[in-house]
Amino acid sequence: MPRVFVQDLVKTYPGRRKSPPVEAVRGISFGVEAGEFFGLLGPNGAGKSTTIGCINTLVRPTSGRVLIDGVDVVAAPREAKRRIAVVPQTRNLDRDLTVREVLTYHGRYFGLPAAEREARADRLLAEMQIEDKGGAKPLTLSGGQQQRVMIARALMHDPRVLLLDEPTTGLDPQARRMLWETLRGLHQKGLTLILTTHYMEEADRLCERLAIIDHGQILTVDTPAALKKGLPGGQILDVWVDAAAPLGPRLSTIAGVIRVEAVGQDGQDGGERLRLFVDPGDGLLDRVLHAIRDAGGLLHHVSLTSPSLEDVYIHLTGKELRE
Amino acid sequence: MTAFLALLRRDLHVASRNAVPLLVATLTQPILVVLVFGNILPRLHLVAEEFRTVIVPGLMSITMLMAGVQGVLLPLTIDLSGSREVDERILAPITILGVAIEKVLAGAIHAGVAGLTALPAMMVLMHRVSGVDVHPHWAVLAPLAAVSGVLSAAFGLTLGTHVPPRFSGLLFAVVLGPLMLFGCAYYPWAALGALGPLQYLFLLNPLVFMSEAMRWGVTPDVPHMPPPILLTGLLGFVLLFTFLGARSFERRTIL
Repeated sequence: MPRVFVQDLVKTYPGRRKSPPVEAVRGISFGVEAGEFFGLLGPNGAGKSTTIGCINTLVRPTSGRVLIDGVDVVAAPREAKRRIAVVPQTRNLDRDLTVREVLTYHGRYFGLPAAEREARADRLLAEMQIEDKGGAKPLTLSGGQQQRVMIARALMHDPRVLLLDEPTTGLDPQARRMLWETLRGLHQKGLTLILTTHYMEEADRLCERLAIIDHGQILTVDTPAALKKGLPGGQILDVWVDAAAPLGPRLSTIAGVIRVEAVGQDGQDGGERLRLFVDPGDGLLDRVLHAIRDAGGLLHHVSLTSPSLEDVYIHLTGKELRE
Repeated sequence: MTAFLALLRRDLHVASRNAVPLLVATLTQPILVVLVFGNILPRLHLVAEEFRTVIVPGLMSITMLMAGVQGVLLPLTIDLSGSREVDERILAPITILGVAIEKVLAGAIHAGVAGLTALPAMMVLMHRVSGVDVHPHWAVLAPLAAVSGVLSAAFGLTLGTHVPPRFSGLLFAVVLGPLMLFGCAYYPWAALGALGPLQYLFLLNPLVFMSEAMRWGVTPDVPHMPPPILLTGLLGFVLLFTFLGARSFERRTIL
């Protein structure tokens, strides 16, 4: 049994007078193993936050089930809540308490003895590099600092699973990198993490496995590397050429070229830019070069690259990832 | 139970930090009313002497209603705001009903402290300005004040979870204002017999039962509502508002 088990999850928000019901999640299933760093990647409105909400008990599923270590979150929410911790999308630190009290009261809610909660608060404030902010009110802190307080708060009761809902949205690049380091550190210590994001780079750098999700359904689940390999051909060859007649149709007949897309003019290198999805093998570049020459074209520049997650995403959904 | 007590402790901790402004807000109204109705108006022969002993328990019930409602309503508007601070409570290992009841209990303590501060203040002041003494029956008053506090706070939970924050100003003008005027705070319910059957319409107002309960405890000599009706009304409204408030609280917090 995986640490987190989601089966046939459906959530339909009931309609109101003027708005129809919203099918936010339409039959999602996945499992997250102990110690795994799992990601849910998708555009806004894809159903990521609703899925996280169903796992953390704040959203009641319409059907399907979620188990944390075998504990059903709907049937036994209190036991489930002891096992999970949540870093929500909006900063929701208790504004009437100091940062240190936010941590120690969280410890109290989970029944930690006094000595232990004080020691943990000290250790987590130091680990999150906010030890000098213990006496401050949360609203006086920067966005990145508040984010780290929320992670410290989540870790106070020593959860088995940490759920992070778009934790880096609204952070500056420096704070975002710092948060990535923190999350990597937690993963190395063996914590199970589930992260939602609409940042490709974040998903690529952090997650061991990714579910790409859109319109409330999972399109695919795999490691970032395997997802990228799954593109037609597996590699991308960009060529910048000058030619009298369009070269696309001719190049697409070459063995090893799966698909050709015209990317357009490129001012810097000159010529037309063509993107070839290729299966790189012996003599491929030579065949492409000959085909261009035979058509009377002039090759300015070539570049062979591995595809990015963004290419995978566009391939799967046929659209750019909306941010 | 651990989470419940920890949440309660947090609420009392935060409230105790704001004790001085809360105390000022609680005491201003009853003290000024005692001055006007207990001293100024009787000296101008504009109100009857007996009125002074009638209003003390009434003012206590109003003070408790306001403190109980505000003690739940104001924190709730922050809790349920866009930043969803309430989620930290909901994610504690406790049921949603537990969180709701904790809120009611915190509000009830708030109301109880307000009432038991206002009463001695009014007693001292009334004695100084008009020489009138009231002799509360403390053993009767204490449990009635406790139940009245719970009623006020449960009412606050019902209002706070049903009325959007932008209408809370309207709430005080349109709901709490009329409740106070028709809440038997300034006249005993028994005297409303003069109105005929209309007297029974007043029983729809929860404050009537609180005022009569305080009247029984604070001025046992003044005629008050028969205890069976009084207790049924108090407990009935406690159950009704706890049910309505808790149900609506769950709807507002779990999607």
